[in-house]
Amino acid sequence: MFKDLLFGNLTLDAIPLHVPIIVGAGIFMVLVVATIIFWITIYGKWSYIWHEWITSVDHKKIGIMYLLLSAVMLLRGFSDAVLMRSQQAIASGTNLGYLSPEHYDQIFSAHGVIMIFFVAMPMMFALLNIAVPLQIGARDVAYPYLNSLSFWLTFVGAMLCNASLVIGDFAKTGWLAYPPLSELYYSPDVGVDYFIWSLQISGVGTLLAGINFIATIIKMRCKGMTLMRMPVFIWSALCAMILVALAFPVLTVTLALLFLDRMLGMHFFTDFAGGNIMMYVNLIWVWGHPEVYILILPAFGVFSEVVATFSQKTLFGYTTMVWAIAIITFLSFVVWLHHFFTMGAGADVNGFFGIATMIIAIPTGVKVFNWLFTMYQGRIILATPMLWVTAFFTTFAIGGMTGVMMAVPPVDFQVHNSLFLVAHFHNVIIGGVLFGYFAGIIYWFPKAFGFRLDEKWGTWSFAFWVVGFYVAFMPLYVLGLNGFMRRVNHYSNTMYQPYFIVAALGAAFILIGICLQIGQLIVSIKHRHTLRDHTGDPWNGRTLEWSVASPAPLYNFAELPIVSTRDQFWEYKQEHLAEGRVHPKNMHYHPIHMPKNTPAGFIIALFAGIAGFALVWHMWIPGLLGFAGVLITMIARTFKTDTDYYIDAATVKKTELTHIKEMI
Amino acid sequence: MVFIHTNNFSGMLKSLIRWLLLLTSCLVILCLAGCKGHVVGILNPKGIVAYEERKLFFDTLALMLIVVLPVIVMSFTFVYHYQASHRVKEYKPNWSHSFFLESLWWGIPCVIILVLAILTWKKTHELDPYNRITGLNQSPLLIQVIALPWKWLFIYPQQNIATVNYLMIPTGQQVEYWITTDNVPMSAFFIPQLGSQIYAMAGMRTRLHLLASQPGNYDGMNTQFNGDGFSDMHFAVHVVQPEEMQQWLNQMKKSINHLTDAAYSELLKPSINSEPKFFSGVTTDLFQNVIATYMNSVGTVHPRDNQANFNNLIKSQKE
Repeated sequence: MFKDLLFGNLTLDAIPLHVPIIVGAGIFMVLVVATIIFWITIYGKWSYIWHEWITSVDHKKIGIMYLLLSAVMLLRGFSDAVLMRSQQAIASGTNLGYLSPEHYDQIFSAHGVIMIFFVAMPMMFALLNIAVPLQIGARDVAYPYLNSLSFWLTFVGAMLCNASLVIGDFAKTGWLAYPPLSELYYSPDVGVDYFIWSLQISGVGTLLAGINFIATIIKMRCKGMTLMRMPVFIWSALCAMILVALAFPVLTVTLALLFLDRMLGMHFFTDFAGGNIMMYVNLIWVWGHPEVYILILPAFGVFSEVVATFSQKTLFGYTTMVWAIAIITFLSFVVWLHHFFTMGAGADVNGFFGIATMIIAIPTGVKVFNWLFTMYQGRIILATPMLWVTAFFTTFAIGGMTGVMMAVPPVDFQVHNSLFLVAHFHNVIIGGVLFGYFAGIIYWFPKAFGFRLDEKWGTWSFAFWVVGFYVAFMPLYVLGLNGFMRRVNHYSNTMYQPYFIVAALGAAFILIGICLQIGQLIVSIKHRHTLRDHTGDPWNGRTLEWSVASPAPLYNFAELPIVSTRDQFWEYKQEHLAEGRVHPKNMHYHPIHMPKNTPAGFIIALFAGIAGFALVWHMWIPGLLGFAGVLITMIARTFKTDTDYYIDAATVKKTELTHIKEMI
Repeated sequence: MVFIHTNNFSGMLKSLIRWLLLLTSCLVILCLAGCKGHVVGILNPKGIVAYEERKLFFDTLALMLIVVLPVIVMSFTFVYHYQASHRVKEYKPNWSHSFFLESLWWGIPCVIILVLAILTWKKTHELDPYNRITGLNQSPLLIQVIALPWKWLFIYPQQNIATVNYLMIPTGQQVEYWITTDNVPMSAFFIPQLGSQIYAMAGMRTRLHLLASQPGNYDGMNTQFNGDGFSDMHFAVHVVQPEEMQQWLNQMKKSINHLTDAAYSELLKPSINSEPKFFSGVTTDLFQNVIATYMNSVGTVHPRDNQANFNNLIKSQKE
């Protein structure tokens, strides 16, 4: 009895010792973690890691941790992609490949979940954390402790998803876990529960982060920065976060209902006793469609910053850019049904949602033309961030085109669920979101770390990524038009095989691209002194983040800036160019009010992780402990009054003068 | 300090473009080679609906290319031409607004989308899978389709016969499909070369109208992932002349293999890659009964739990 309450359904059999790939991956993961722990201990860095990182509420450090999480998860998600590509390249005719359907089904489900929730989302929050407060002239986000909690919840969600690799199974349902397949009758094992709880925990983190950034952007802008003077990246972040705040509760509720079905035998989405599977499909896409705009909008913001900076020219059509973003934000909530035209809704409904979808192409197209005409008659510097933007134009145009084609319901009746669809969304998510984020990471890297990334390695990794992308995904369009479906484990018609071999080759190219990116990072760290950004303004930037040192000081701005125009820093530089830049050494500095670090976010997330794992395995005692831990830590934190401190004026002055000295 | 990147980039760009061109041409050749032999999807339609959908596909493609091609061309030329190292004379660092230009790229996409929207509205209604294909005198042939754990059951209710993973239909006559599932998660019924796909859901009936115009053997499949046997959930579609169809029906009716309750229970058990099976003596209300089983079910036990529990059977098969 006690054993049941303590361990629930968890037994040693849950570890699949008979599957070599999983055992290998598990041993690898354990080894990596053990090595890291070993080195931290050897160098006595535990205190540093605890005080400077884990308990940190500094938005820049949280941004870096998001980036690290996303990079690690990208490697895992990409390994899944390599497994799928190689399986499909082999499993032709009578050959069944090397992955059984049972294993393969988990791989494609995990690939989707990881890439969206634990690669793209953390990468977006990394960029937001690093850039938003600096761009709006603020000292931190509105709720620094909430920011730390958001990150750790996302982290714990990702770890729960990783745990499923070794302990038990992951969902075998596809990344959105459509019922009735995800219901207890068809999926009695713990896979779907891992899916539910890793998304629930990280989803709450995302929602809190969304609210945090809305408050930050609305309330924390520096003096003079009216809404229409905000950089476009801030606009895109604001709109994306509004989408987060409106869409993520839908995800949370939907998954909670699915959990009630599975745990308590309810019938929200079962295929019998009055459950309605179509309700789940609707609800999940009411969240899911805004989700893709949550990802793409900040990428649009990055493009706007990067194109203007590297064309050395003001962004073209600022007002239309802002309206385009606002229209996309609104429309993204009225198109969800285009994900299931084939469910049998009438022609009126399908027609409405099809046309609503196409209309999104208009503001998106406007944005593309504005970027193009920002480059027109500019002076383009082809540094690596700009290279990614260049590749984005063609790639995204193709992806957008196939997207509009699929918005026509009768065309969708042919290509829905086929590899044409898979090619389309990788086309926009890699070509739009990922290329944009890569551009943003390279662009803001000096601001976060104090040195630039190596350009030569960056250019090569860019080349391999882009070529790899086209080689990997263009064949999928052809396959889709030939009636080849997604999520297929093996196929008897050998005519498909050459295309899959080409696609696998493309994945190999991307693999080289990723290796070169890792190489780029190593080389850049090695040469960090030559790549050091002394001025804080390595790209001749236009917005406020470039007006402070790199890496930005803890308090961001010694004196909060006052803004009178859009490209404030650019204008400032133009004005002061003639008279030479003046840096008032004798300026009077004030003490700066800052939030204190707190372990509360980390501890709450840890307990949430315990509760999540316990619920997956029906372990009631650890589950209750986890919930109690979350509640008690939250309440205990509210009693803490000693949450802030002042950086004294002397320290501020010293930091600022060091920066000015280095600059000169 | 302004960072200027002059490092042999245009050479890099050129080699990249060359690479991509080479690759595209390889792919095009591959496609053309494929076309000759055995293109099996929308590009090689064999029915009225699929033919219309292919036409719509290319119409949409053409409309979109009006905008997409200029974007691609402009992106390359602008990036190439206005590089700082090329020292182009015109440089307008503060030029950021042009009413004319912005109206142009709000206006042109609006017009294109308007055209596309009208086309979409019209074609969505015309090609609504629930509607009968117009302009045909003959009444449609009814076939009821039940997705079973990784196989398809086709019932010809008017003829009281049924088949598994084997669909025989006549040319020139439209077929009305009624579709549902039994003891398998949501699936989707699709014959790419004949036309639209539609989901199959338990306790519900979806409908589809297709008309095959050329005799031949085509591939039919499930497009919605529904578990381990998904990849093999294909069925053979034989389109024959009406006379041949009649002969086949007559022959089938004589078959002594009846679809009894016991035989149906056997079909409910999960199986992968099943051989075609043929039955006669099918009760006319089998399809309706299957739907009713789910619609009228109550309690926490799945209606097929006792008869053919999905997972226990899969597990025992594996062992």
